[in-house]
Amino acid sequence: MNPAEVLAFGVTRSFGPHEALRGVDLALQGGLITLLGPNGSGKTTLMRCLATVTAPDGGSILIDGLDGRHESDRIEIRRRLGYQPQEPGMSRSSTVFDLLDYLAVLKGHTDDRARRHGVHAALERVGLGDRLRDRVGDLSGGMRQRLALAQATFGSPTLLLLDEPAAGLDPDERFRLREIVAERRHAATVIVSTHLTDEAAVGDRVLVLLDGRLRYVGSPDSLARTAAGRTWIQEVPPGPVRASWRLADGRYRCLGQPPPGVTPVAPTLEDGYLLLTAEHGTDPDLG
Amino acid sequence: MTTGHHTPWPVDQARIDRNWRAITIELDSPRPGRIERLLRAIGFPAHITRLMVATPALRRAWFLATGLAILVGLGATDAGAPRDQLFVLLLIAPLVPVLGVSMAYGVEADPAHEMAVAAPIRGLRLILTRAAVVLACSSGLLGLAGLAAPGRTLMAFAWLLPSVGLTAVTVALMSMLSPRRAAAVVMVTWTVGVLMVRGGAEDPLRAFTLGGQLVMAALAVLALVIAVVRRDRFDRLSVSS
Repeated sequence: MNPAEVLAFGVTRSFGPHEALRGVDLALQGGLITLLGPNGSGKTTLMRCLATVTAPDGGSILIDGLDGRHESDRIEIRRRLGYQPQEPGMSRSSTVFDLLDYLAVLKGHTDDRARRHGVHAALERVGLGDRLRDRVGDLSGGMRQRLALAQATFGSPTLLLLDEPAAGLDPDERFRLREIVAERRHAATVIVSTHLTDEAAVGDRVLVLLDGRLRYVGSPDSLARTAAGRTWIQEVPPGPVRASWRLADGRYRCLGQPPPGVTPVAPTLEDGYLLLTAEHGTDPDLG
Repeated sequence: MTTGHHTPWPVDQARIDRNWRAITIELDSPRPGRIERLLRAIGFPAHITRLMVATPALRRAWFLATGLAILVGLGATDAGAPRDQLFVLLLIAPLVPVLGVSMAYGVEADPAHEMAVAAPIRGLRLILTRAAVVLACSSGLLGLAGLAAPGRTLMAFAWLLPSVGLTAVTVALMSMLSPRRAAAVVMVTWTVGVLMVRGGAEDPLRAFTLGGQLVMAALAVLALVIAVVRRDRFDRLSVSS
């Protein structure tokens, strides 16, 4: 099957007085898309709406033309979906095999033999092929994330939604995660939410969500270029600028309108992202 | 790949590898637990038994329903039980599956609840499957205890329809409240209601006579209709968790 087509029109979602999503429009199909935004920007709510586990208050979401508001469409969307929640809860006393086997049953894989083979293949794919009988509670945080990824990718979904899959992973684990996700980008529409700009840099497209609104859709390079001519480094603490932070060598990297006589430097994706967040009045979370 | 370098006959190495892998997968896959094996021996398909007892919390719901049913059943087998004692049995027995069902669904029962909600299985079907297991388990044991009771009357089985009715009401309420709250509402309402009927009647078992049984049957049907109408709510995270 082709990668899923994802369309969203004016999606809104509130929790009490808090507006988590304020009219999100999307049109995606295929590739690796990273959803970037600071904590509390609405990433998880958007991922949950796309995964059909949370209903939007307004607007609509179509996955391959299917509308999650209708029960039969919702079930069909979920057949095409692989979803890793931000906090993939797992019974700590279950074995790795039993947990994945149970989730595979829920996904509709009722043929016992085929499911067993699928479970083995999924665990081998994420490097847990030799941990079948281990208790989930005995796994490291990175291994549990990989187990969650194994369940998300089980059955070759055409829409893969991974909510902060790199959280808590060490560099080696992150690299392995990138490899696994990269393998799926040709067969599925893969959306990975993150607040880490280096994770976003490996995507085909970047979406930046700020305060419940999509503020940027484009390539990582284009996002970096939005800070071209507005990024510079200076020796002394800057005056009022959009954003600045101290580098390891004691100098200051600054974003905004450069003062006269300063030579701008080549911007990075992080510069573009931080400039965007600063311009929209969102705490860029430089700490 | 077919090769004949070292043998006088063609060897399909790819096929051998496939078969060897299939064998190792069968050998490596852990055996299901005792309860699951028992259920399979009874005749349940393997994938259904997985849904029934997948997590420790689900197994706890089972054990709880079984344990309470045995305790309540022991009371029923007391040959010299006066009607007051039977009243206590009939009051408590229908609450056993309610408690069990409340422990068999939701994020408290299944930490992987959010992943389960995103799966292409209808939430109501999952709840009803687990409710049926808990109900069958507790009712079966209570039924056996009732049969073993010397000098038994039909009244020794008067918990059956209330059990079904209260379980159905709990499921319906779970479309509005968390499973634990739904169970609490049902248990308190049932206890207060039965005690009020008893307070105003000479016969302590009045609530369990034909009129009461019909009310519970009607309630069960109504609750199931409500659960079906509101089934969408079981497929979303916000309510079902």
